Amino acid sequence: MLKKHLTKFHLWRIEMRELELYFGPQHPGMVGNFSITLKVEGDRILEAIPNPGYLHRGFEKLMELRNWIQNFPFVCRINVIEPDSMEAVYAMAVEKLANIQIPERAKYIRTIVLELGRLASHLFGAWAYANMLGFDTPAQWAMADRDHILDLFEELTGGRVYHIYILPGGVRRDLPDGFEEKVMHFLHGLASKLPDYNETFFENRIFYERAKDIGKIKKEEAIEWAATGQVLRATGVKHDIRKIEPYFAYDKVEFDIPTRADGDAYSRILVIRDEMLESAKIIMQCIEKMPEGKVYERTPNPFKWKIPEGETYVRVESSRGELGLYLVSNGGNTPYRVHFKTPSFNHGLFILPKLLKGASIADVGNIMISLYVVAPEIDR
Amino acid sequence: MDEELKRKIEKIYKDTEVEFPERNRMVVKTKKASILSILEFLKREGFRQLKAISCVDWIKECEFELIYHLAPLNSPLHIMVKIRIERKNAETETILKIFENAKVYEREIHELFGVKFKGNPDLSPLFLENWHDLPPFRKDFDTRKYVKKTFDEIPSVEDRNERT
Repeated sequence: MLKKHLTKFHLWRIEMRELELYFGPQHPGMVGNFSITLKVEGDRILEAIPNPGYLHRGFEKLMELRNWIQNFPFVCRINVIEPDSMEAVYAMAVEKLANIQIPERAKYIRTIVLELGRLASHLFGAWAYANMLGFDTPAQWAMADRDHILDLFEELTGGRVYHIYILPGGVRRDLPDGFEEKVMHFLHGLASKLPDYNETFFENRIFYERAKDIGKIKKEEAIEWAATGQVLRATGVKHDIRKIEPYFAYDKVEFDIPTRADGDAYSRILVIRDEMLESAKIIMQCIEKMPEGKVYERTPNPFKWKIPEGETYVRVESSRGELGLYLVSNGGNTPYRVHFKTPSFNHGLFILPKLLKGASIADVGNIMISLYVVAPEIDR
Repeated sequence: MDEELKRKIEKIYKDTEVEFPERNRMVVKTKKASILSILEFLKREGFRQLKAISCVDWIKECEFELIYHLAPLNSPLHIMVKIRIERKNAETETILKIFENAKVYEREIHELFGVKFKGNPDLSPLFLENWHDLPPFRKDFDTRKYVKKTFDEIPSVEDRNERT
């Protein structure tokens, strides 16, 4: 009798073994419009299938119909959280194809804008991570500090989130009076808050326990899987486009590339924290060394601007890793083909399912945010 | 390093052209048949990361161009390996065995351009849902016509005023 009962129970267990679970886009643990289909057994994930496409607007195709300058509002919307690096990479590609040299002062201003954008992006990332794990206090601090950067951007460019400030030929306008002091004031304020951030979040024992050994990647795997940015640097590889192929004013400032050895979620968030300090260092040096002069090299009338035939691949280090742009011109007044190599595409569609295999359901959001995946970058 | 690599490539692969269009960039133009072996060779030479695969539709020449972006870790050199395939029944060999992360890029190109990758087990749609039209990133796909057909045109201000 008992044996029969047990067999029945056993059969029932087998029947209930594998479940399919839809995680996102409407899920508290999910950041952005992205979803993952999980095949789970109990709490363990057997397989994870990412489903992008909620934000697919076909920007790369739409850009083929609009002239070189009209494309800027598209470009910045590809990465909502850090639009400046997108503008920079597109402007760089156009300048390369059209053979435009930008003034020295514009290079410094671009560097400052990019680093402020990186700071804003990292603070947003810290907010997302802290918020998801329930560290509400540091999350709100990070969001408030990001808002200060948005205020600075509003003063500089007129826009808070999307700036369209970096244009081929330089930047749209010079820094307003007293802007440098405001930036310095903000940076000192942020640095003074670092001990608080460390205590409540980065070096908090609870956070350490929650993020240590989660989503671990080995060094060899990270290289093999073409990881970039923090994901690669957290495994101990010193790789940064700003050092390898310096653009703008990055060859004139001193900074380190922070790395960690463990390759887990905790290492990645510490790399992000250290990068914020490096960003602050870069901005301070730029403000100090910035020369006087004009900030914009006149470009032809945008409606009549034809760019000579050619192709180029340019890359910058965005807050998420190597951001590349393959731009082809056939001599017309619109691009012939635009292809963005975004870090999240590889991280979100290829590395994420690999890391989720064998993890628990509670760690899905944890792993995804620690990989720093931003959905619009995948869909484009 | 760059010149030496160029000599090596041109020595092994006779039908391959190597150019340096600008600083730190190298373009390798090769034939469809030798793409696998040339990528394998470059991987052994230290180009261990496949950064992306781009596709360009050269409609006038009736060809698709596939560009494989490779880069090593500690050198600023970036290599673009290019092949041309015919536009009609576009098909090429998958490079999954050499670069595992090519999976998602091939899937994207298959969806947006309709290029088939022989040997890639997962070429299911990535972004689009219930799409039965031409692959949308091809040059002969007219976005504006599609928008008009699907969403109808917004009437001009004059038309709207007349109606009210």
